[in-house]
Amino acid sequence: MKKKEVRVITCIICPVGCKARVTIENGKITKIEDLECPRGEEYVTRELEAPVRDFFTTVRIEGAMTPVLPVRATQPVPKDKILGCVSELADITVDAPVKAGDVIAKNLLGLGVDIVATRDLDHVKRRV
Amino acid sequence: MVKKKIDIAVIGGGAAGLAAAIKAKEKGIENVVILERNEELGGILPQCIHTGFGLRYFKENLTGPEYIFRFIKKVEDLQIESKLDTMVLEITSDKKIIAVNSVDGLLELQAKAIVLAMGCRERTRGALGIAGTRPAGILTAGTAQRLMDIEGYMPGAKVVILGSGDVGLIMARRFVMEGAKVEAVVEILPYASGLSRNVVQCLEDFNIPLLLEHTVTSIHGADRVEAVTVAKVDANWKPIQETERTIECDTLILSVGLIPENELSQTASIVLDPATRGPIVNEHMETSVQGIFGCGNVVHVYDLVDHVTEAGELAGESAASYVLNELPPLRKKITLKAGDNVKSVVPQIISGEEPVTLHLRVKRPMGNVKVKIGNLSRPKRVVRPPEMVVINLTKKALEELEKKDESKVSIEEETEL
Repeated sequence: MKKKEVRVITCIICPVGCKARVTIENGKITKIEDLECPRGEEYVTRELEAPVRDFFTTVRIEGAMTPVLPVRATQPVPKDKILGCVSELADITVDAPVKAGDVIAKNLLGLGVDIVATRDLDHVKRRV
Repeated sequence: MVKKKIDIAVIGGGAAGLAAAIKAKEKGIENVVILERNEELGGILPQCIHTGFGLRYFKENLTGPEYIFRFIKKVEDLQIESKLDTMVLEITSDKKIIAVNSVDGLLELQAKAIVLAMGCRERTRGALGIAGTRPAGILTAGTAQRLMDIEGYMPGAKVVILGSGDVGLIMARRFVMEGAKVEAVVEILPYASGLSRNVVQCLEDFNIPLLLEHTVTSIHGADRVEAVTVAKVDANWKPIQETERTIECDTLILSVGLIPENELSQTASIVLDPATRGPIVNEHMETSVQGIFGCGNVVHVYDLVDHVTEAGELAGESAASYVLNELPPLRKKITLKAGDNVKSVVPQIISGEEPVTLHLRVKRPMGNVKVKIGNLSRPKRVVRPPEMVVINLTKKALEELEKKDESKVSIEEETEL
């Protein structure tokens, strides 16, 4: 027996925000409707097969003007791994100075992405 | 008091101010000074650690810090002077600036031109008049963002967010990532106020409920927020009492709108537009006072920093031309008036002779529309309040425009032929 399902996915590629109607039969996409452009089709397909998201957070830093350093992943990570990535970085503390682009963690969770600093933070004497 | 003569003063070192200062210096103006209240340049961007910046300007997907540090580096490379930790107290219509900091003390700067780039501020609980007690734990979204992502504090553990503006949506995700529970995002309108990509990535991804046509009617708690009452609203935004329910939480985040910060503009008697709450500007981003220009969120609230940068560049270029005596007043003035479904339009005054980019904010969502500028018409697939409508008018297009003193800008439903 054929298993058929229709799902609605909001495309986030551009501000139009098309709501695509996607027909899935036996786990395969058979029809995508209500999209305005091909970029949407690519997004919707990836969103159903292996959704990814940009990843960014902060890590602790010692000896800088602020106690946290903003960081990002060099490539998008699987959507369901976002909270896992945060936990993995929770115990990391780096020392100032740091330059934007410095690698903070390599190959996070074996996902093949590095975590890099997104700004410079100089070493400063702690202010009272 | 330290007294100094300078060419161009830029008030505010955020995205708009940095772009303006860079452009002015690049146009050959020697003495450009940025006055910044914070201890570092960058404005709001250093605390916006998420991606999505620069897609238009750099054709790259950058985080806030990555985006803004490109401009900070440029300011340093061009050796533009910036005075940090410096509070501007007053500006006058003859372009005198009174400022104060702990190094110079009181400062009096006489500038040939001024660029206003003070940005905007968040609406607070006081502006909403929510009933209830006054406990700790009620913060604006931007304050929560600063606490979490610059100062390293966790502002709460069980959170309700009132308003679905972009910063509120972004913070919903950040709270979840940092281990808090976000009970709900409460929005009075029948649609989200923020960009649709943020509704998907920040709420739907983390199963955070978005309560549309709902509002917070009361705040509970003595020392710390303990709960809020939420209710559905009717078509007139009036809470329906029978629908009231209590949500336990220790933090209420407000993401209920931004207001251009124009206290200083008023000290210089600059005319403001009640619709934008920013200065009325012409196509050179010049305000009602000659030689004082405005750009970015102080003029009207943008949704993309890329557009803020472009506005800053235009204002900086105009200020430089003014100082070089290369900026004649507009030969003809056409005042653009907001018509049907248009909340605001910037610039408000155009010549109709030079190419210009119009930025419009609509009041309600509509599909398959025509954007009318006087007798000109531009089709749009969709217009929504969160997303600014950008209309580029070329010199050629403007030849068609009827040159009246006033032109109406409105959104009209496409008529079937």
